Amino acid sequence: MPPGISTSDFYYILPELVLTGGALLVLIADVLLPRGSKALAWVTLLAIGATIASLVPFGSTHVEVAHGLLAVDQFALFFKIVFLGAAALTVLMSVRYLEIEGASPGEYYFLILCATLGMMIMAGGIDLLTIFIGLETMAVSFYILAGFIKPNQRSNEAAVKYFLLGAFSLGILLYGMSIMYGLSGTTNLRTMATAFVGQERDPRLVLAVILVVAGLGFKIAAVPFHMWAPDVYEGAPTPVTAFLSVGSKAASFAMLLRIFLEGLPSMSADWRLMFEVLAIVTMTIGNLAALTQTNIKRMLAYSSIAHAGYILIGVVAGTPRGVAAMLIYLLIYAFMQLGAFTIIIIMRRQDVVGDELKDFSGLHIRHPFAAFAMLLFMLSLGGIPPTAGFMGKFWLFGAAIDAGYVRLAVIGVLNSAISLYYYIRLVVFMYLKPQGAGSPVTTSPSLGIALAVAVIGTIFLGVYPRLLFDLAEMSARTLGVAAVTAAIR
Amino acid sequence: MMFPILSSLVALPIAGAILLLFVRDDEHNEPLVRNIALVVSLLVFAQTLLLWSRFNAGSAEFQFVERHAWIPAFGISYLVGVDGISLLLLVLTGFLTPLALLSSWESVHKKTKAFCIFVLLLESAMMGVFVSLDLFLFYIFWDAMLIPMYFLIGIWGYDRRVYAAVKFMLYTMAGSVLMLLAILALAYLHNAATGAYSFDLLRLYDLRIPPPMQFWCFLAFALAFAIKVPLFPFHTWLPDAHVEAPTAGSVILAGVLLKMGTYGLVRFAFPLFPLAASYFAPYLALLAVIGIMYGALVAMVQPDMKKLVAYSSVSHLGFVVLGIAAMNTQGVQGAVYQMLNHGVSTGGLFLIVGMLSDRRHTRLISEYGGLKRVVPHLVAVFLIVTLSSIGLPGLNGFVGELLILLGAFRWSPRAAAFAASGVILSATYMLWMFQRVNYGPVNNDKNKTMRDLSAREWAILVPIVAMIALMGVLPNMFLRPIGPSVERMLNQVRQGAGVQIQAIKNSEFGSRNSD
Amino acid sequence: MITPTHYMLLSSALFIIGVAGVMMRRNIIVIFMSIELILNAVNINLVAYSSQLQNAVGQVFALFVIAVAAAEAAVGLGIILAFYRNKETVNIDEMNLMKW
Repeated sequence: MPPGISTSDFYYILPELVLTGGALLVLIADVLLPRGSKALAWVTLLAIGATIASLVPFGSTHVEVAHGLLAVDQFALFFKIVFLGAAALTVLMSVRYLEIEGASPGEYYFLILCATLGMMIMAGGIDLLTIFIGLETMAVSFYILAGFIKPNQRSNEAAVKYFLLGAFSLGILLYGMSIMYGLSGTTNLRTMATAFVGQERDPRLVLAVILVVAGLGFKIAAVPFHMWAPDVYEGAPTPVTAFLSVGSKAASFAMLLRIFLEGLPSMSADWRLMFEVLAIVTMTIGNLAALTQTNIKRMLAYSSIAHAGYILIGVVAGTPRGVAAMLIYLLIYAFMQLGAFTIIIIMRRQDVVGDELKDFSGLHIRHPFAAFAMLLFMLSLGGIPPTAGFMGKFWLFGAAIDAGYVRLAVIGVLNSAISLYYYIRLVVFMYLKPQGAGSPVTTSPSLGIALAVAVIGTIFLGVYPRLLFDLAEMSARTLGVAAVTAAIR
Repeated sequence: MMFPILSSLVALPIAGAILLLFVRDDEHNEPLVRNIALVVSLLVFAQTLLLWSRFNAGSAEFQFVERHAWIPAFGISYLVGVDGISLLLLVLTGFLTPLALLSSWESVHKKTKAFCIFVLLLESAMMGVFVSLDLFLFYIFWDAMLIPMYFLIGIWGYDRRVYAAVKFMLYTMAGSVLMLLAILALAYLHNAATGAYSFDLLRLYDLRIPPPMQFWCFLAFALAFAIKVPLFPFHTWLPDAHVEAPTAGSVILAGVLLKMGTYGLVRFAFPLFPLAASYFAPYLALLAVIGIMYGALVAMVQPDMKKLVAYSSVSHLGFVVLGIAAMNTQGVQGAVYQMLNHGVSTGGLFLIVGMLSDRRHTRLISEYGGLKRVVPHLVAVFLIVTLSSIGLPGLNGFVGELLILLGAFRWSPRAAAFAASGVILSATYMLWMFQRVNYGPVNNDKNKTMRDLSAREWAILVPIVAMIALMGVLPNMFLRPIGPSVERMLNQVRQGAGVQIQAIKNSEFGSRNSD
Repeated sequence: MITPTHYMLLSSALFIIGVAGVMMRRNIIVIFMSIELILNAVNINLVAYSSQLQNAVGQVFALFVIAVAAAEAAVGLGIILAFYRNKETVNIDEMNLMKW
């Protein structure tokens, strides 16, 4: 047993261990099962289900594992549920897609699970080292997944772009982290927080904060670090895009909250200002760029950039309410974004790529339920009640006003009004234009399940968000935000 | 426990819509779908009448209040109630929806099921807007209303329907998002003052809001409502939406949706922010007067009947806003009364234009002429509705306009004088249109074979005419429940603004308003 | 005498060269090498701080960075190779299938 690690630490990382085991099991099953068997997807789902089950004992745990490498708390738990749920939906929507594209499912599911594992470590990490490892586990998996359709040039191109910019942003982030380490003498975020008190004016620390903000800006695709996102989203296989835009984004936000709220509270004046500017620019540019897109995946990429801007509002607020709003929004966003991507995958048929705006023409005649679901997701993304997206935005803007950032809230709501234009444009195509070409639109059982989950989530959280709100508030409080804000004021 | 009559007003149309979902959508079932929708909407109307009969007209308080916790962490509850101001608007909504459905029986043949579902959902959202006493709930209904209306215009409208639908949606959203922020700011202020978040209108009424905040919040609310009304520079979506919407859409749009703007001013913007309200009232009145004149003048030159009626709405709603801005008993009572009048008479006008357009598939005035000889019954009803719209004494329009002008005169004779000239203008354009359509020789051969009113159309128009006469002859029946609530609201504004109102008026606006 | 400042200067020089390389070079392989330069700058930083602070964590961190960089290189070169097979080029200007 290496020093500093005890047997009980293994108990606390049980979910991660189960997931790792599950991932290995998928690889073995890939060899054993006959080629082209759909059972592999169910094995993957089983692994995810087992991991979710293994989260149960940690419902109210609040400990640091291995002397502060990982935290097992409700904040991490909330994110883990989001990641695992998103992964499960992604697996469900991948089955038919992989079949049509003719890609081998074994490595694909393995990598999805690996990426999920990385995300879980990112959410739990309270040490720069663990966060970095988690980030790379996730990122490397995604590099491969983005280029998974090897004969497809767009997929290749997406992978190269994602890889280059991902590695570049990692370098910048690490450089900032190395300075943080040098100035504090520790990589543990909580120790670091106390070490930095009184060093607010150290230019090296300000530089480190700028570098970390920039590095994370790439990961969450905040303007001006967003150039990779539209290309990667458009080129990557659609289920991967879905998982990337939900899981990777949520994990990056978890990491961001850990680093800034746990590690750099004393610098909050600096990073709040930076994030405020980033938030404003990100939502505005994201929405304006989305206005002219004709490819749905690309449009959703810009919309996802804009949503990163909204979510940043919660970081700027920095209060428990702000953090809770972010958690709420990320979960709601997972439902609506994954739902929208499920529809795009349903549109992908042997003869039609199905991600152009015109492919959706007259969808409500060809497949009324798919059109209705897409309508729901678009309204939710646009923030119209009574959908979940409205509740999420309401909570975010409420947190901003609560923390005194009225300007940010005003810009936010104006942006959400602008965004309505392009979401509604898709609705126009689906409902008000004559029928498009191509073979009939059908769903498979797994796609149907994914769609049903997303629809129910989007409606239920829009009508009865109370449970989620309470849960998120509780999780946000475990981040230690309250103590930190108290210490600063 | 008391029967939750207000919740059932909201829930019943939704239940009807869900029921319709289970009906197979084919040609064969079309009558069934229509009858279900009609029966549901008639039930809702009956319920609103029941509500009226059980309503205690002497009380100014909110009645039939229901309250359930919804999102306690943010002090959000499901809180509904009704007072004299909203009561009759509920009845109006219940009254117009079955007529709108009936009017579509011949003009809407594609996707009848979806059409009926959207109309019912729209009715539910409208009811919800009028009964909500929780600002959050109100906002949800307010926005939820957009979606069915968007589809009604977008799917069943005329040629440029997509453009009109998108424009309608974006305009209304642009206004309402800022209102959302103001609502959030109110909850925040309530938290700062009492330590708990609340969206409860009754509690927020008692909140003392510092002046700069009042101004910003009032402007945010007023913008949302001004776009909905629509007040003069924000009206450009209305003609497009009206012209492109199907008849049923136009009727509901003109009859109920526009009232939400003015209702919002009376219910929310003025009593919540009394100081800001008294500060901005003269500006609102100015815009209203401009709207009255502008709407009338533009209506005069319209070649399209529907567009003419749409612009006349801008003019008529200007009266309503003027009455509210006057902030005295006659003005506000007249404004509320005029909301009902406008719903009935403009709704009626749209129905008649729809009937003409069903027969001839055009709404251009120049295509008609001499209809009096061909379809005498239709023209007779047309005449009554037209006269009601221009405010002929003895019909409903007169009472509302008179009260508003009285109120406005007490407050600012000059504004009243301008507004009164609007009445004359409205008589001019309406009668001129009526004359061009109905008198003279029958020049167009296609008009010679037009048929007169069918039984279904009689069923639509008789209630309208009956309401026009009833509201003209027995205005007190309607004014009695309105009175106490209006008084209460005015007291609230006066007390809220308190001495400050006087101070501001004397120093800044006294000279402008009292001469 | 070599002080910690010298290490910092070296690492920041490497970092700046790396960033400049990523921004300006057009060849994917060269860009990738520039990224490796950035990671090396990070490693120098970490090790220098570690020896200055007499604290081993920095060296452990550096080892992890090296290991992860190797993993990344393996994946990255694979991706670049797949791209090259399809396109027969490693020039970033020819990655133009998707444009806004």
